Amino acid sequence: MSLLLLASSLIAQTGRTGGGFWFPEPGSSVATEVDFVFNVITQICIFFFVLIVALMVIFCFKYRRKEHVADTGGATHNTILELTWTGIPIILVILIFFLGLQGYVRIITPPENSYEIEAMARQWSWTFTYPNGAQDFDSVLHVPVGVPVKINLRSDDVLHALFIPAFRVKMDAVPGKNTFIWFQAIQEGEYPLYCAEYCGTEHSQMVGKVIAYNAVEFEEVIEELNTWIDKVPDEKLHMAGRLLYNLCSACHTTDGKALIGPSFLETHNKFKDGGTRKLADGSSVKVDEQYLLKSILSPGDQIAASDSDKAYPRSMPPGLGRQLGDRKVLALIEFIKRLPELKDSDGKLISVKRSEIVEEAAEPQ
Amino acid sequence: MTTSDTSNPIPSQDPPQVDNYLTHSTGIMSWLGTLDHKRIGVMYLCSILTAFFFGGLFAMLVRAELMFPGKLFENPDTYNVMFTMHGVIMVFLVIIPSVPAALGNFVLPIMLGAKDVAFPRLNLFSYYLWVTGAVLAVSSVFFGGVDTGWTIYVPYSSSGSNMDGILPVTFAIFVLGFSSIFTGINFIVTIHRLRPPGMTWFRMPLFLWAIYATGILQVMATPVIGITVLLLAMERMFHIGIFDPAYGGDPVLFQHFFWFYSHPAVYIMILPAMGIISELISVHSHKHIFGYKFIAFSSVAIAIFSFIVWGHHMFVSSQSPLMNVIFSAITFSVAIPSAIKVFNWIATLYKGSISLNTPMLYALAFIVLFTISGLTGLHLGALATDIHLHDTYFVVAHFHYTMMGGSIIAMIGGLHHWWPKMTGKMYSEFWGRIAFTMVFIGFNLTFFTQFMLGSKGMPRRYQDYSGENWSLAQTELFAQYHWWSSIGAFLTGFGFILVAIYLLHSLFKGKRAPANPWGGRSLEWQCASPPPHDNFSKPPTVGDCYDYSVLEWDESEQGYRWRADVKHPGEE
Amino acid sequence: MNVTDTHTNKHPDFLAHHWDTPSQQFEAGKLGMWLFLATEVLLFGGLFVGYSVWRGNHPELFKFGSEFLDTTWGAINTVVLIASSFTMAFAVTAAQRGNQKGLIIGLVLTLAGAFGFLGIKYDEYSHKFEEGWFPGPAFYDKPSESSHTWNDETIVVGSVPLVPPVPPTSAKTAAQLGLPADINVELSAVLPPASSPTGIDRAVLNPDTQHSESKHEVHALQRQDRPANAHMFFTIYFLMTGLHGIHVLLGIFLITWLLVRSIKGHFGPAYFTPIDLGGLYWHIVDLIWIFLFPLFYLI
Repeated sequence: MSLLLLASSLIAQTGRTGGGFWFPEPGSSVATEVDFVFNVITQICIFFFVLIVALMVIFCFKYRRKEHVADTGGATHNTILELTWTGIPIILVILIFFLGLQGYVRIITPPENSYEIEAMARQWSWTFTYPNGAQDFDSVLHVPVGVPVKINLRSDDVLHALFIPAFRVKMDAVPGKNTFIWFQAIQEGEYPLYCAEYCGTEHSQMVGKVIAYNAVEFEEVIEELNTWIDKVPDEKLHMAGRLLYNLCSACHTTDGKALIGPSFLETHNKFKDGGTRKLADGSSVKVDEQYLLKSILSPGDQIAASDSDKAYPRSMPPGLGRQLGDRKVLALIEFIKRLPELKDSDGKLISVKRSEIVEEAAEPQ
Repeated sequence: MTTSDTSNPIPSQDPPQVDNYLTHSTGIMSWLGTLDHKRIGVMYLCSILTAFFFGGLFAMLVRAELMFPGKLFENPDTYNVMFTMHGVIMVFLVIIPSVPAALGNFVLPIMLGAKDVAFPRLNLFSYYLWVTGAVLAVSSVFFGGVDTGWTIYVPYSSSGSNMDGILPVTFAIFVLGFSSIFTGINFIVTIHRLRPPGMTWFRMPLFLWAIYATGILQVMATPVIGITVLLLAMERMFHIGIFDPAYGGDPVLFQHFFWFYSHPAVYIMILPAMGIISELISVHSHKHIFGYKFIAFSSVAIAIFSFIVWGHHMFVSSQSPLMNVIFSAITFSVAIPSAIKVFNWIATLYKGSISLNTPMLYALAFIVLFTISGLTGLHLGALATDIHLHDTYFVVAHFHYTMMGGSIIAMIGGLHHWWPKMTGKMYSEFWGRIAFTMVFIGFNLTFFTQFMLGSKGMPRRYQDYSGENWSLAQTELFAQYHWWSSIGAFLTGFGFILVAIYLLHSLFKGKRAPANPWGGRSLEWQCASPPPHDNFSKPPTVGDCYDYSVLEWDESEQGYRWRADVKHPGEE
Repeated sequence: MNVTDTHTNKHPDFLAHHWDTPSQQFEAGKLGMWLFLATEVLLFGGLFVGYSVWRGNHPELFKFGSEFLDTTWGAINTVVLIASSFTMAFAVTAAQRGNQKGLIIGLVLTLAGAFGFLGIKYDEYSHKFEEGWFPGPAFYDKPSESSHTWNDETIVVGSVPLVPPVPPTSAKTAAQLGLPADINVELSAVLPPASSPTGIDRAVLNPDTQHSESKHEVHALQRQDRPANAHMFFTIYFLMTGLHGIHVLLGIFLITWLLVRSIKGHFGPAYFTPIDLGGLYWHIVDLIWIFLFPLFYLI
């Protein structure tokens, strides 16, 4: 009873937000197939569930105890009947197994001519690298519609899993191994993307989105992604750094609070005053451009310590800074150097749009 | 024993036992150092229910965090510690030992007609190992907590997490594993060697078959988790390079080792629960269990199959596709014996005399909930759909239907069933049914919503489903389900508190329980309530343990007694 | 106290209250012990599986590593352990026949064998410790900077992206970038040269790799033909022989306890369960070593 009430109220609720009772709208070519398998299994389930529960309820009502009867007699077994209800499930599960297998073979077999994108998982963001060298660090995946896309997954630290519910695909990113998923988007639009394998503190913020474009638009987006930093004039480089800061924000705050790494505000203040930073090995180093550069590109060399001499963990992967390319590294350095300029009157970071800082005319090359 | 020389052959008419196992000796040391399986069972029960309370408290905190989008606990690590502790406590401290070690310890020797388990000292030692493990596991909170999830996957557990509670927890799992192994050995040997004359294998109550199959699992699977957590501890302390890829190891090997234990562990949890249900269904409908041998052998079949299906936890772990296909195929074989059991239980109800009292309500709830968990297992066993559903709330809902809807519900049902036997007191039937209703509705509200949450793509172990990276539409969609789910969880929580209240109340104010309040035929209903120190004041009468024709209602006792016109076979 | 003459009544002292006959108790004890031994085998089974996985994936590690084990001492240890298993069996037979002297001699010899085994093992271990052949990263390159092989392909951990990166822009002068003039020098030292195929010259960026060679002494294992992940051999070697060693140690405690009870005269033809079970345990310890010896020393 309660189940039925709940189910009906939920059906009514989901009607408002779109999508089916169970699944989000299918967004990839395999999604409909997966949904078909799911629905077949669900219908078998509903049949057996209703059968079992109906019999149970009927028996409980019809044979309810009316007086103190110690024994009711009746059959203790019936081999034919029992073999029947052994046999029918066997046939059904074999059917379900093959249905599942059929869909699975499609899920794991990318077409030969797939468009390949490299994905690197780190605590707690995804970096996607496209064949032309363009990169997106903000867990945003751009894909063309109607083209099979193969995503090669790697992890830099712990286990992660790339999960795109609308495409019905998921795979673990295992450090030291290569894995992949593939899909073919069937409709333009935005779809959520999650990390599905628990990966630590900010696991629930390791989410992003997949944006599916038509082929022409996709080319433009990827091209833009590749070259936008070169179109940022030098005087606006710190604003580009604001965009790139999302890559750092999980560990470095801008309000002075120390998280996994030192706050950028503290670093900025030291830079401004020509101060020094204590290191974990007891020495100290002057906070200048060279220090910042080395800290981004080779973070393991200079593990910082807080002013109370507690060493920060050695958790920043070296690949994080090195993947950026020179100009983006410089943009981050500019960001730290000019941090106060990027804050509003409440001390919060202003938001910057890429379109605001890119200037076609400023392209120097 | 003064009662043994009465000439009355009717066991249930034994005068109330003045000397029972509770009054046999007094003082705290008579409990802490006891070798009596009944007292050890009671100590297990109290300890496990305490652990259940704390595990439940963590569950409530987890649901409170998830009730609304946004962060209730500012630091995500707080949440991560809470869901980890919920998992560790519930799995290792509560569900694995609950039925075998608590109820099994109390009931098994009596059901068998034995005076005690085969190795009483080992039994007490297992209990203290459990206590040690519990202390270690809980102490991890004071060592800085553990935030890896109960699955302690490497490399997060070996080098990713900065929390220092991981080592105590791994040692706790090691110690608890040995507690479980020794309990298993004890029960297997007891069933093999302590059956009295006449108690043949096929006269054993099905609960004993289930405990026997569980014992085999405990003995064969648990050592592997022992060595696995030891290796993990070595990896974390010394970076020996066996699991951590940064040092040349293979994280997927860890998952194989872990699930080689933890999948059979699922059946360590559910098999004894199925055993309880077989008893409850038959006793409370006063009808011979239908298809005894099919149920008995299906327990053994489940135990065997459970060893070769662990890979179905790893369909997206980068294990090879061929392995996935093989594991998927074998996984479906587990569905068969489970289905057989459910159909046989339903057939047992047919033409019975069904009493809808509290234990029976839990048993019927078990059938409903276990059916849902088993059927949704088909979605997860099928490869194509599991890819989408893996590590989402669908899985969370599925295993809660199994672990809680199965094991815990059966445990609570068994507790009510044997409560009169254990304490000699009757609880309030009215409050029992009220609490049951709360638990049943609350449970379904909590977890049925999670099936939809999962199929819509909500991954598990998320502290929050809002934030700058989240689209508003997703947040709003998930928020509805999470709200309902939390409401259900709180309702369930209150239901369990109510259970605790009326059970405790019955200890002091409850009516005296007759020897056989339900009309059960297995041997524990032949001894007094509570049982004497040596279990039976005279050798019990062994027969078909589901043949109720020898019993009749005794109005003065408010219980059932041996029919006066039926002779005990042993007396002919 | 002699067992045979005091326990003529139906329920002798050694028989716990819940058993009917001594043989029932003995059979139960024996079944329990066999089950326990099954768990022991499975405990080691996990390690044997680990051994097989690594041996299957990296046979070269085991070929390389086993050269550093002393086969002679390993063989002697095997003989010692088999001999002690024999003396244990002798002790059990003696107990069953009521041969008190034989029982004590058998146990003492077994104990001597156990100590002998551990002594030789101690010598082997201490030799390896002196050489610094610890398991784990002690003789392993720093993890984040080295490459290792897995599934037949080289993977660079913590590396640069796999695809050609953005064309370098370091051609710009420092002045153009609005940086102080002197950073230009440092840029060329730290940032990759424009011609570098991967865009980033890791040797320059990784002073760590240079550190590690100067920091750690190069010992015998650090020779040229050392395969990657050679430490894995020693990890598994120490884990398996170490766990076995702990079992030998437990065996020593067990046999000592049996010896004390034997001297007190607790055992005889009527009651020898602990001796029999202790013997079973000792045989399984022996058996495991018989597997370990060829797996590590010989093949």
